[in-house]
Amino acid sequence: MEPQWRVALLSSPVAAASSAPLAALRQCPLPQPSTAWPPPPRCETPARRCLTRPICSSISSPVVRLCLRWSGAAEIHPDLDRFLSNSLTPGQMAQIPNLDNAPINLAALREQSQKDLLGILKSIRGKKCLVIDPKLAGTLSLIIQTSLLKEYGAELRILSSDPLQTECTKIIYLVRSELSFMKFIASQIKTDEPKGLQREYFLYFVPRRTVACEKILEEEKVHQKLTLGEYPLYLVPLDDDVLSFELDHSLQECLIEGDTSSIWHVAKAIHKLEFAFGVIPNVRAKGLASTKAAELLNSMQLEDPVNMDDMGIQEINTVILLDREVDMVTPMCSQLTYEGLLDEMLQIHNGSVEVDASIMGTQQDGKKVLRQKATSIQQDYVEVKSTNTQSVSELKDFVRRLHSLPEIAYIEEMIHKQEPIENVLRLLVLLSLTNAGLPKKNFDYLRREILHSYGFEHMNLLYNLEKAGLFKRQESRSNWVGITKALHLIVDVNDTANPSDISYIFSGYAPLSIRLVQHASAEKGLFNFILKKCFVTFHYPRSIEELLKLLPGPHLDLKRGGLTINSSLEVHPGSGVQQSIDRVGHRTLVLIVFIGGVTFAEIAALRFLSAQEGMGYDFLVATTKVVNGNTILKPIISNSKEGMM
Amino acid sequence: MSSSVSVAAEWDLLSDRFYRRLTLYSPLPWSAPAPTSTASSSGVGGAVIGRLDLSTHIVAAAPFGGPIAAVRDDSKIVQLHSEPSRRRLLLFSSSGHPIASAPWPPMLPRLHSLAFSSSLSLVGLLSDGSLLRFRLPDLQPSPSSSPVPLLPPASGGVADAVFWGGGVAILTEDNRVVVATDIEAADPHPRDLADPGVGDEEHVLCMAVVEPQFVMSGSPEVLLAVGDRVIAVDEDGVQLLGEELEIGPVQKMAVSPNGKLLAAFAHDGRLLVIPTDFSRIIFEYECDKWDINNNLHLQAYDNYQLISSSLPEAIEACIDAAGHEFDASRQRALLRAATYGLAFCSRFPHERFQEMCKMLRVLNAVRDPGIGMPLTIQQYKLLTAPVLIGRLINANQHLLALRISEYLNLNSEVVIMHWACEKITASPTLPDTVLLEGLLDKLRLCKGISYAAVAAHADNCGRRRLAAMLVDHESQSSKQASFTFVLIPLLLSIDEQEKALSKAIESGDTDLVYLVLFHIWQKVAIEKKAHLDFFGVINARPVARDLFMAYARHSEHEALKDFFLSTGRLQDAAFLLLKESRELEKNPMASKGSPLHGPQVRLIEQAHRLFAETKEHVFESKASEEHAKLLRSQHELEVSTKQAIFVGSSVSDTIKTCIAMGNERAALKVKSEFKVPDKRWYWLKTCALATVGNWDALEKFSKEKRPPGGYKPFVEACIDAGQKTEALKYIPKLPDPRERSEAYARMGMAKEAAEAASQVKDSDELFGRLKTTLAQNSAAASIFDTLRDRLSFQGAY
Repeated sequence: MEPQWRVALLSSPVAAASSAPLAALRQCPLPQPSTAWPPPPRCETPARRCLTRPICSSISSPVVRLCLRWSGAAEIHPDLDRFLSNSLTPGQMAQIPNLDNAPINLAALREQSQKDLLGILKSIRGKKCLVIDPKLAGTLSLIIQTSLLKEYGAELRILSSDPLQTECTKIIYLVRSELSFMKFIASQIKTDEPKGLQREYFLYFVPRRTVACEKILEEEKVHQKLTLGEYPLYLVPLDDDVLSFELDHSLQECLIEGDTSSIWHVAKAIHKLEFAFGVIPNVRAKGLASTKAAELLNSMQLEDPVNMDDMGIQEINTVILLDREVDMVTPMCSQLTYEGLLDEMLQIHNGSVEVDASIMGTQQDGKKVLRQKATSIQQDYVEVKSTNTQSVSELKDFVRRLHSLPEIAYIEEMIHKQEPIENVLRLLVLLSLTNAGLPKKNFDYLRREILHSYGFEHMNLLYNLEKAGLFKRQESRSNWVGITKALHLIVDVNDTANPSDISYIFSGYAPLSIRLVQHASAEKGLFNFILKKCFVTFHYPRSIEELLKLLPGPHLDLKRGGLTINSSLEVHPGSGVQQSIDRVGHRTLVLIVFIGGVTFAEIAALRFLSAQEGMGYDFLVATTKVVNGNTILKPIISNSKEGMM
Repeated sequence: MSSSVSVAAEWDLLSDRFYRRLTLYSPLPWSAPAPTSTASSSGVGGAVIGRLDLSTHIVAAAPFGGPIAAVRDDSKIVQLHSEPSRRRLLLFSSSGHPIASAPWPPMLPRLHSLAFSSSLSLVGLLSDGSLLRFRLPDLQPSPSSSPVPLLPPASGGVADAVFWGGGVAILTEDNRVVVATDIEAADPHPRDLADPGVGDEEHVLCMAVVEPQFVMSGSPEVLLAVGDRVIAVDEDGVQLLGEELEIGPVQKMAVSPNGKLLAAFAHDGRLLVIPTDFSRIIFEYECDKWDINNNLHLQAYDNYQLISSSLPEAIEACIDAAGHEFDASRQRALLRAATYGLAFCSRFPHERFQEMCKMLRVLNAVRDPGIGMPLTIQQYKLLTAPVLIGRLINANQHLLALRISEYLNLNSEVVIMHWACEKITASPTLPDTVLLEGLLDKLRLCKGISYAAVAAHADNCGRRRLAAMLVDHESQSSKQASFTFVLIPLLLSIDEQEKALSKAIESGDTDLVYLVLFHIWQKVAIEKKAHLDFFGVINARPVARDLFMAYARHSEHEALKDFFLSTGRLQDAAFLLLKESRELEKNPMASKGSPLHGPQVRLIEQAHRLFAETKEHVFESKASEEHAKLLRSQHELEVSTKQAIFVGSSVSDTIKTCIAMGNERAALKVKSEFKVPDKRWYWLKTCALATVGNWDALEKFSKEKRPPGGYKPFVEACIDAGQKTEALKYIPKLPDPRERSEAYARMGMAKEAAEAASQVKDSDELFGRLKTTLAQNSAAASIFDTLRDRLSFQGAY
């Protein structure tokens, strides 16, 4: 596989929307790396290798953006520290996450996935060509070493629309059940035919066969040539405390297309977890997709019950499901943790960063160049951190000023300068979300300016964003200020070295999503204690019920019965997580499921919470995908352009 | 069963154990069933005491108190009394009550033997070595009425055969051995064992099988007694056994249930017990009246001396003995004895006693002659209660099965479900409504039962209406347990598509929704109905509608357009047209300025009209109008400039291109045509002029009038192009000192930057940033440090 090296070093800023005053988003030349840098501050909890220390203040310095291409080339571990000290060379494989400190036995889960995959390879004798879809290749790198696949006689290829180049006569397609992949497979099989190639085709769907995919195969008349199977991979551990359902399109499917497949998938995956770790007795959900998933989970338990008698203890006490839709503000803000920043700038894929080779120049010492780049990024933040801590109030200002909308002028300028459309949209979406839309005049004007600057092919995009409620006309008063007050989203961070609240994550803004999690797990639990300790005046003017009504989507509270057969659906409103330390020697485990994605910053916030002294909970995060503002918007932009949404 | 003889007198000593022989049922009714009887209707109550001469029949008795099957042996001459001459296959309970009968299939080779498989289907081995299988309890040939051959045609047929739980070993007339280990499979895969090497003049006296699960190799081992030797045959070879034991010709052999021991009846009247490897003789008994053929149940029973031993053990022994006892009054006596002891022995676990009482109640109930399942307690424990219940329902003893499952706290769903299905099968003439009432009465007994499965059975029996009624009931009664994967195909098969669609949506499984959608879609296509029906159905259901749309975007464009237009979603139809227009653009045939350009514009104009028809999409309508206009202008530009570089670019890019080409007039025309605001115009023009390096024109442009958005576009254009001198013309014109300072900094002019910065209030952050920006310049850095120190000293921090 010859990597396609291509680089573009842009000195454009990340859309540091939330905490940065918009004026700070300016182009500046690239800073030169200095020779020495202070070591990155690390979180004290040894189990966490994350980089969750606060970098206070806005990003006002320029940052390096590396434009990346799928290349299978050099990868950097997200841990800057480790990345800098390790001798990584281009082409090194992604590291399979170490799960030694997982609160439940995730390694066993992964081993099962490994075994299933090898079982497929074993069942087909002799040499074979394993064709994987591009996304799945990344997912599999979290489960199994490529070398192991080769040991089983498999030659690896990535699925594309091009004809398949291989000597093998046995072709195994291992792809997610997506319609477009079926067309690729059909076209590959069809090109083989006139060449007289005698090949045997196997198609394994991930995670399961679907009628729609088979229908496409039938229509393309290749159905009969394929032996079909399934590879039931529903979730993959990304880290000790993070699971991914690997559903990249979940958010846009739920929000724009109305395709609810991912909700079923999420429920199925949780149900599978229950088979391994016991029925989760408490279920809480907020948002349309989440409540639906909770209901599905219940009916799955009825149709295919987990036998609780065989299970022993229930390892997971509570599952909290949350729609990304409930809090779209947070991902649109710039993340200010190291891991989050790396994701914003270099995009972390499957726990690693891919850097284009040409930035390494002609020299093959990639390590050195990567070191320089990383150093300069880091230098910026250290610099930023040292400069001030006073930008805390800026978010407040931002929210207040939104009403007078001077930001519109700034965004207008960005459009006129034809800056990358996702940067523009990220700000517009944030503006629209916090103001319940834009006044009609501004709305129509900005939309027209966008179409004129970026092309009329973006009409569908604007329409889709409007349908999703992300960028719309103002029709009612915004309740954002009310929400920020009620949930204490804007909090001054006084001591950045020893933060006492998650608001340090965004330099004074506590992510709405995480506040909701605090609520869902608190009420009668330990959280309240923590919260009270931190803020003497921390009390809620409204009841949580009232508050939840301000946010999109219904909410649901379930307690699931102890009996397998008549596990009835009893609703106990307002009952918090039971605080029993029921897992011997462990703290109560709470599974938090984000349908539509979660950011690294939010994960960091949860780790921060669970690392607090006296905290009785461990968190396990499960998400359809790890996202940031750009990775949310980019697929919507491209799919809208192609008219596939 | 009761006897006046003393208990001890029933027992015989054999070696060091006592054995007894029990008569379980007597006399046996053996009634020949009425000629008209169907499978399940031959009632037990109406039985007439009759006769069945076992010696003239081929008989098979199922293990574990199962039924007895018999068919008249046509190799024997029999005097017929009142029975019909046509042979019938008869099925009796162990107590001799007729369960079912069916005519023996005609035109078959002679029957060699009958046997029951481990899952209680009846197997007949015909003399040509083919198998005929029957389903219980109705004795219907299953899976088909034609026999499955096990032997090659040249083998000469069956000489002898031995069945075990799942298989059969056949000795052919030409002295070969064939085994089939799965006689219930559709294809039993018969296998030849090694040639036993028996000569033509020799005669196989008897055979026995060591079942595969007791053999290391996992395939059965067949023992043959030939002359005065015994040989073991398996797939790999033949082995001569026990020569040194000098047993002599063996007349009969039987392998113990655990496969370890063999009982052999020698020609001299000795009964020998030998390990199956023939290593030694364990036990030898001279018998003359002992009939090895009788399949006796041998029972150890040595309890009587135990009363004297220590109390808990005695109680245990009493309870245990009661368990092994068949006679209810003796069970009672033993249990009573145990309760006497229990009163004095608090340590003894009382549950043991209760458990035994429970078990005995169940055992006595099924041992009743009316049911006829004489299970021993060990058999019951091996069989387990759920399997026993399964056997009872297969024997149509639903009431007892229900009672037992209730008594043992087992889920009665399986009983009621089976009953309901049998009821439907057995009541072909009962009107649907009456039958439904009867079914619902019982189905209601069991919470969470799947009506769908019963409905599926009704559908199989050709009672669609009843199925639909049941399904209807299901949807009313239980929302939770929907068992959709059974229900949906059923609903589709009974033409209840809309209900199927609703159920599929309810299930949350999009795959099921697609299943229903494609089904309806295909039906519409086959019946050549208008798509409107389909569209109406899905339009009322957002989940189905959205899924259809997602699928159709991949492969059903025309249908999708039809759908949008017929359901009034004009804007979506319009977007689809826009998509098509873009696909034309991608088409390699659609090279710039070609005639294909026309269709592209036409599609956009069509979209514009559709948008205009809606009230809510004024913006889109105007935008698509502009889009069409832009394409036309770009086409004209390409014609006039003879350069194919315009079509497909945005309004802004078109203007930039025009200016970069020096065609100011064309740019202005585009500007006025598309009402480009002045602010944007300044950004576009400065950028374009800087790109081509036309600095004079840029300066001239800056002096035309005071720029509406200030001089920032000029500064940025120059800095981006790295033109220091040019930039310096405009930087001083920036009104904001912060902007000025940053602009200087970007040009690397530290001193000027610092000066400008010092005019900014609250400049600390700015200084930090500037320092970073100019970090490579140590002189500059020191300027900042000095300045900042001075400012902080003034108390700006």
